[in-house]
Amino acid sequence: MRESKRSMKNENSIFRPLMTLGRFLTVLVTLCLPGPIVFADDTPAKNVSDEAFFQTTVLPILQQHCYECHSHGAKKAKGGLVLDSRSGWAKGGETGPAIVPGKPNKSLLISAIRYEDYEMPPTGRLPEELIRKIERWIADGAHDPRATENVQHNGVIDIEAGRRHWAFQPPRSVTPPEVRDTEWPRHDVDRYILGQLEEAGLRPVADANRYTWLRRVSFDLTGLPPTVAEISEFETDQSPQAREKVVDRLLASRAFGERWARHWLDLVGYADQLGTSNNVFAEHAWRYRDYVIDALNNDKPFDRFIREQIAGDLLTHSTTEQRASSLVATGFLVLGDIEIVEADKEKLLVDIVDQQLNKVGKAFLGLTLECARCHDHKFDPVPQRDYYAMAGFFHGTSTVYKTSRGVWSDIHVAELPETDDQKNERNRLATTHAEKLKRWQQERKQAQDRTAELNNQLKQDGLSQEERDKLTKERDETSGRIGPLNNRITHGEFFAPAVPRTYAIQDADNPGDMKITIRGNPRALGDQVPRGFLRVASDKQPQIPKGRSGRRELADWIASSDNPLSARVAVNRIWQKLFGEGLVRSVDYFGLPGDRPSHPQLLDHLAIQFTRGGWSRKHLIRSLVLSRTYGLDSAHDDRAHAVDPDNRLLWRMNRFRLDAEALRDAMIFVAGQLVPSVGGPAMPLEFPENVGGLSPTNVNPPNFRLTKWRPEQEFQRTVYLPVIRSGAQPGPATLRNVFDFAQPSQFTGQRSITAVPTQALFLMNSSVVKKHAAALAEQMMQEDDETQRLKLLWLTLLNRPLTETEQHETTAFLTQAGENAWVELCHALLASNEFLMRL
Amino acid sequence: MTTPQLTRHRFLRSAACGFGGLALSGLMNETARAASPLAVRAPHFTPRAKRMIFIFLAGAPSQGDLFAPKPHISKRHGMAIDSPVGDDGQLRVGVAQFLPMAPIAPIRPRGQSGMMISDLLPSLANVADELCMLRAVVADNKAHAPAALQFLTGHIAEARPSMGAWFSYGLGTENKNLPGFITIHPPADGRVHGAGFLPAIHQGTPLRVPRKEGELAITDLRDPDATPDVQRRRLDYLQNINQRLLNRVQGDSQMEGIIESFELAFRMQTETPELVDLSSASKTTQELYGIDGSATDVNGRACLMARRLSEAGVRFVQVTIGGWDHHVDIRNSLPRSCAGADKPVAGLIRDLKQRGLLEDTLVMVSGEFGRTYWSQDLSGTSPIEKHGREHQQESFCTLLAGGGVKPGYVHGETDDFGYRPIQGRVHLHDLHATVLHLMGINHEQLTYPHLGRDYRLTDVYGRVEHEFLV
Repeated sequence: MRESKRSMKNENSIFRPLMTLGRFLTVLVTLCLPGPIVFADDTPAKNVSDEAFFQTTVLPILQQHCYECHSHGAKKAKGGLVLDSRSGWAKGGETGPAIVPGKPNKSLLISAIRYEDYEMPPTGRLPEELIRKIERWIADGAHDPRATENVQHNGVIDIEAGRRHWAFQPPRSVTPPEVRDTEWPRHDVDRYILGQLEEAGLRPVADANRYTWLRRVSFDLTGLPPTVAEISEFETDQSPQAREKVVDRLLASRAFGERWARHWLDLVGYADQLGTSNNVFAEHAWRYRDYVIDALNNDKPFDRFIREQIAGDLLTHSTTEQRASSLVATGFLVLGDIEIVEADKEKLLVDIVDQQLNKVGKAFLGLTLECARCHDHKFDPVPQRDYYAMAGFFHGTSTVYKTSRGVWSDIHVAELPETDDQKNERNRLATTHAEKLKRWQQERKQAQDRTAELNNQLKQDGLSQEERDKLTKERDETSGRIGPLNNRITHGEFFAPAVPRTYAIQDADNPGDMKITIRGNPRALGDQVPRGFLRVASDKQPQIPKGRSGRRELADWIASSDNPLSARVAVNRIWQKLFGEGLVRSVDYFGLPGDRPSHPQLLDHLAIQFTRGGWSRKHLIRSLVLSRTYGLDSAHDDRAHAVDPDNRLLWRMNRFRLDAEALRDAMIFVAGQLVPSVGGPAMPLEFPENVGGLSPTNVNPPNFRLTKWRPEQEFQRTVYLPVIRSGAQPGPATLRNVFDFAQPSQFTGQRSITAVPTQALFLMNSSVVKKHAAALAEQMMQEDDETQRLKLLWLTLLNRPLTETEQHETTAFLTQAGENAWVELCHALLASNEFLMRL
Repeated sequence: MTTPQLTRHRFLRSAACGFGGLALSGLMNETARAASPLAVRAPHFTPRAKRMIFIFLAGAPSQGDLFAPKPHISKRHGMAIDSPVGDDGQLRVGVAQFLPMAPIAPIRPRGQSGMMISDLLPSLANVADELCMLRAVVADNKAHAPAALQFLTGHIAEARPSMGAWFSYGLGTENKNLPGFITIHPPADGRVHGAGFLPAIHQGTPLRVPRKEGELAITDLRDPDATPDVQRRRLDYLQNINQRLLNRVQGDSQMEGIIESFELAFRMQTETPELVDLSSASKTTQELYGIDGSATDVNGRACLMARRLSEAGVRFVQVTIGGWDHHVDIRNSLPRSCAGADKPVAGLIRDLKQRGLLEDTLVMVSGEFGRTYWSQDLSGTSPIEKHGREHQQESFCTLLAGGGVKPGYVHGETDDFGYRPIQGRVHLHDLHATVLHLMGINHEQLTYPHLGRDYRLTDVYGRVEHEFLV
């Protein structure tokens, strides 16, 4: 639960955030505020324990209790004093320096918070323990790494000053710190972690037991728990390579790509639906989803992965498959929350450009570029001109075209090149399909002719009532067949086997630079800005060939080890998926008010290793999960908790609840019902009842209403189910509606984890969970002996041996629970925290 | 309190220091309440309204037929005239010519105030003196989905927090057994009642009027297969093992949250059915809302539920009454929609008034935009009698009542075409700012940090309109 993100700005104390004090907070600043933009430098800390104390203890106090009035984010810095930088308190306000390092008793700040002269904060005296912490900080020399620079002079952003922000500096290679306990670290990662822990006077907790580790790594890598067989194999494998074997097995499984693809899709706004309004199906979207799964399973280098998604259509290729896959990859830029029903086409086009730049900015660069659409960025060194320089790449790109249907637009569809085998197979299918259609057409013709004939006969005079009834009956039956045949034929014609197609972008006819739109209004145009890279993150500017959008050059720049952001953002996202929180906790935002890395050197080390090692995600993940840090228990430790309650220093593993996909997949999996899939269309559009509006004269595009499902979809992994943008997730995917699924209109680098009563109602009462419980119980019944059965259930579900207490209690429960006892037991355990959480 | 709950108390009281333990110990004090994200929070200043009910007329009712007649249009009924759309204007879908279309039924002055209301809304006409009518409300998009999103979240795309979620976040819920935001018969697009980036506990809980035996008001509110005893035994077993894990790890806010969510869910199972079981309502009340098996029955039940939930302390209740998208044959379809909604909505206002609740309950009735004063003919061949009306975001009518708005008051005016506001323009951002103001919230101060900046319901816009406030 991420409760600490509450507003801190309200005057009313009741609006104050409910946060733990140790929680490291992002600096909160109002959107439109006067005054200079400040920026925090990444001056190397002289002493890591001072650094840790400042970051985990002092800064949150300042942020929570002082910044409201004493920061550059405050409407007016009271008394001229700002506490958001070292120079701020050193210079002090109207009454002189606020802090004298080493001398708390001579520091005005202390007398103010002690309510000796000033009474600060005015809303109420701080608790004594917080005051003592500030005193200790000052007594120790008031270590404060926050240098500030104006990145704005006379209203103009100073790019050079902006470059000093840690995220815009190139990653620096340093030797891992010396550690006192040389036995503990297994890898370099561990040395960085232990180094900072030792500096803070802390020790990591004990290692997790083997059962916990196996369950953790299985869920993290594949989104599924280990099987009973896998547990017993690992239990008995006492070789030093036992863990490596497990990790290699998991990384080689198809389930790995299925798991990690979903993380990426959270950044794409992926849905099997086009736009945000009306039920327009995105019939080719699944190709992009399969592309991402394959890219992960084939360990496609991440730099290539970036290039393909931004400029796949412009890349050279050596094989047909490579060409096809690069085209599909550009779906990244179109399968998002874009409005395709908008009468104002000029607005539509600039909105799409904005959406694409926004996505590229967040997914790859960790920046909120869209903030600079209407004015210079309020916090980051991104002038409005840079927005339009970057936007120009997409301005020169064609994504949609106007259809003949009223206000509608549609996304470009590209035909994919086929291999000979694919072509032959398609021709074979097309022939069968055509025959089927022809048969239906003939049937329809017969029915129409016969109906006409019968109608004529009915017009004749002199028919007896009996003859008339007989003819009428036959006429009604015959004509009744025409409607359904019409539907089948229209549907069959629409979905006839065709050249495979994909949503894709292409360079526009005359790509050129973009003009600034004043306050985003496409009709109020300002200067034209030459296409170029974000200046604060690049020394170089591109040479764009004439007649090109320049996306190729943009992709090369982002996918380069010279780019200070891309590799850091990528490794931080991977770290967050494995450790629960990023080294930079604001995983989608590396800007000035974003979080600072808890382990800057480790982040740089990982980024450098990543790019040098060929941008291999599997390699990175393998090295992280084999670290000793990853293998820590998630147990509590009083001392460490007192110093670092938020576990910024990773003295233990973070615990978190499984996400919607892992939860649903695991429930199916433990009941032995998971049906493997190789991908393909998510939407069951092959059923005519799921599709409407196929006639080309319809005022709206074809639409879907999912009423019928393929039987196997109930048991396939969630990543293969249709994703809806404008409504609830349908059919077998309903669990997603309850457990914090990434809303496809949002950009979700990290999903929220909530505990709301609708989840509890779902777990207690829904037929979905009850079905899983029944299937699981039935599976267990294959074991005759009750004790053995209990042991099996514990291994299957919680992936660890049953304890004696549990056996005792559960036996008692089973005795009371009546004839359905085992279903009841399975139901309870499926709803238990230990099953729902990854420890 | 029943024995089974005490059983669970035993487990929860042993919680190390968790909220779960405090909340259930029966000794819930202010400190413990404050730890809950749904705890009551004081507004920025004294509010005029403590709770809000929003009747969302999804599809957009025609203000030209119901509330704001235009002589310029009526006089030229059926005659082609120049378009009110300027040089930049695009023609709307299906509109080949501008045929002004007079109201399909008489609109007359009502009550002391003389507020204009159609004969199609006789019950509402009877409470005209309680209403405050805004006649120049403006939205930014003329497609349903984006406009509904803007009406309810402030933004035409994305998934920002909805109005109800902001209220729940800002003010909390006064009933610890119920969520702070309940939405009855919500539209399919879940974003309109979503929490966006706010904590999910603030999202709207969908509720429906059960229409057949065994149907539940809230999804999974009851286990149809298990008796309460069986369910309780399972829950106790479950909470016991949860508690043991919690003890083992010595505190975990997520685990405590899950334990607590089971308890709130369990309380909702008993609390909600009582509130939504309308059989206990008096005959007179049922009649007032049109709960009589006729066309008004379902909406009447929804409105009565809204009143009860609101009275029970739910901060924001929304009732969606759809079916107002009259592109075709409005002469036939609008009266039917009015017949289904008129009595329930008027009944709600009258009931709130009778109970003395209207004073501090803000009621808002509106579509996501309005409709054109000229006709629309999708077929291109039908006579004007069969025409409908197209969407119009440039101006439309919104009704308010109670909670600090002037009763019997009309605010705003549009041009002769009923198209552009000429005075008293209220943009949706302004409407949001004003509604928040009535609830005691400064719209610029109710913020939430997300992706590096503070977000508000009104984004960077919004102005509190004081003219129609008491």
